[in-house]
Amino acid sequence: MSRSTDSTEVLQSRILDYLKRQMPQASALALHDVQRIAVGWSHETWLFDLTYREAGTACTRGLCLRRDPGNALLRHLSSLEEQFRVLKCLESTALPTPKAYWFEADPAILDAPFLVMEKVPGTCPSPWGREGRAFYQAAADRAILPTSFTGTLATLHTLDWRAAGLDFLGVPANGEDFTRREIAKWRALIALSEAPPEPILTDLIGWLETHIPATDRLTLVHGAYRTGNLLIHEDRVSAVLDWELQVIGDPMYDVAYVLSDLNREGTPLLSNLVARDAFFKDYEAATGFAIDEAACRYYNALYAMRSVAFWMSASGLYASGRSQDIRLARTAWSVPVVLARAARDLGY
Amino acid sequence: MTEGELLQRIASTLRQEIGPAIEAEYPKTQAFMAGVVLQKLGQQLALSDVHTAAETVALDALLQDLEPLLSTGAPVADVNAARARLTQSRDAAALSHFIAALYAGREALGEVRFTQVLGRVRQTLRGSLDRRMEYAA
Repeated sequence: MSRSTDSTEVLQSRILDYLKRQMPQASALALHDVQRIAVGWSHETWLFDLTYREAGTACTRGLCLRRDPGNALLRHLSSLEEQFRVLKCLESTALPTPKAYWFEADPAILDAPFLVMEKVPGTCPSPWGREGRAFYQAAADRAILPTSFTGTLATLHTLDWRAAGLDFLGVPANGEDFTRREIAKWRALIALSEAPPEPILTDLIGWLETHIPATDRLTLVHGAYRTGNLLIHEDRVSAVLDWELQVIGDPMYDVAYVLSDLNREGTPLLSNLVARDAFFKDYEAATGFAIDEAACRYYNALYAMRSVAFWMSASGLYASGRSQDIRLARTAWSVPVVLARAARDLGY
Repeated sequence: MTEGELLQRIASTLRQEIGPAIEAEYPKTQAFMAGVVLQKLGQQLALSDVHTAAETVALDALLQDLEPLLSTGAPVADVNAARARLTQSRDAAALSHFIAALYAGREALGEVRFTQVLGRVRQTLRGSLDRRMEYAA
């Protein structure tokens, strides 16, 4: 059941009460510039500044609160608790991520589980809108952010995920296990969506299951590494966001997402930002991994299956009345668009 | 004014008048998205009768073409059963079932026959997809 019926004022008051309990050493706590932002599909996201006094000093801390609305897309695949754990693990690495402060599973506090994390300086322009396209085009021309984009992905793929404690995400065996796990995951989501059968999707899954690439290299994989999921500050990536799809797996899974035409917005630039040749050169130099284009083509087809699973699940949430977010209803028409791309990849 | 035209008109109002008048980001996005949804729905509705008729013709042609393709070579029971179900049900569920049976029976069919049959099925899928893309794209 959605809790969006809470007015912003009521929610602010409850958040403030919670923060007072978490920060007993602070006084005169107040929230400012509270806003719900329309990003992400899975959780409500609220940004605000907290002012308070501590040891006689006036302090300000920017915070981001993500709350589970109880009906979120991918809810059963990515809990806030897992996001919190991932962010905590990543604090000890070189990857720029928000500090995670608190996670609360108790629905008595804000009616639903939530986490509170650092509001990292920066902006996150949507790559789909006119303003976002102009932002990334200008950044591409300055040629600083593209290098940061690639370098940050290289950092993600080369961090020591075992030392960071990320093996709780599940470690696939060498070979086909990673891909088989992904196919099984999206197959399960499709089944849960109760969407009508899609013959092209059946064909796609049949093809995927008979062409699985083997991999012996396992890294942390973000799962949706693109502009729009990265916070940008002073022309550099200040934080990698949206930790909802991460797995331990083949780094080419992320590389395929970068190389795909999904996020180019009609430009030749990867993620509307990075020249393909520069990405290959910088990524391979920074990681020591050769980009496997055949594996990337396969994963691109797997992304089509994943996208269909997303959109079937999303539109089903709206159609069944479990979500009031009209963006989810729109996704019903995204299914044939993704299937058209898959059909093209399969040669028809 | 047809139902489709009415939906397009409401969509236009949402996108050009209601959306721009809303200041808060979240409800503004919702208003614009409602306009997009109604526009898609209007287009789909307007094409519905033509597309339904075309789907029937395409499925008839597929079933006719499958007959000789599957009657040559050793019979594969599950594939033939799936074709029989498709002939009877004539819906997306039965077509999906048939495609799944093809992949499962690939070895028994042999690579040449599998490729021929799947290729013919894909021809039908492509046509159906092209029709859906008229309103989805």
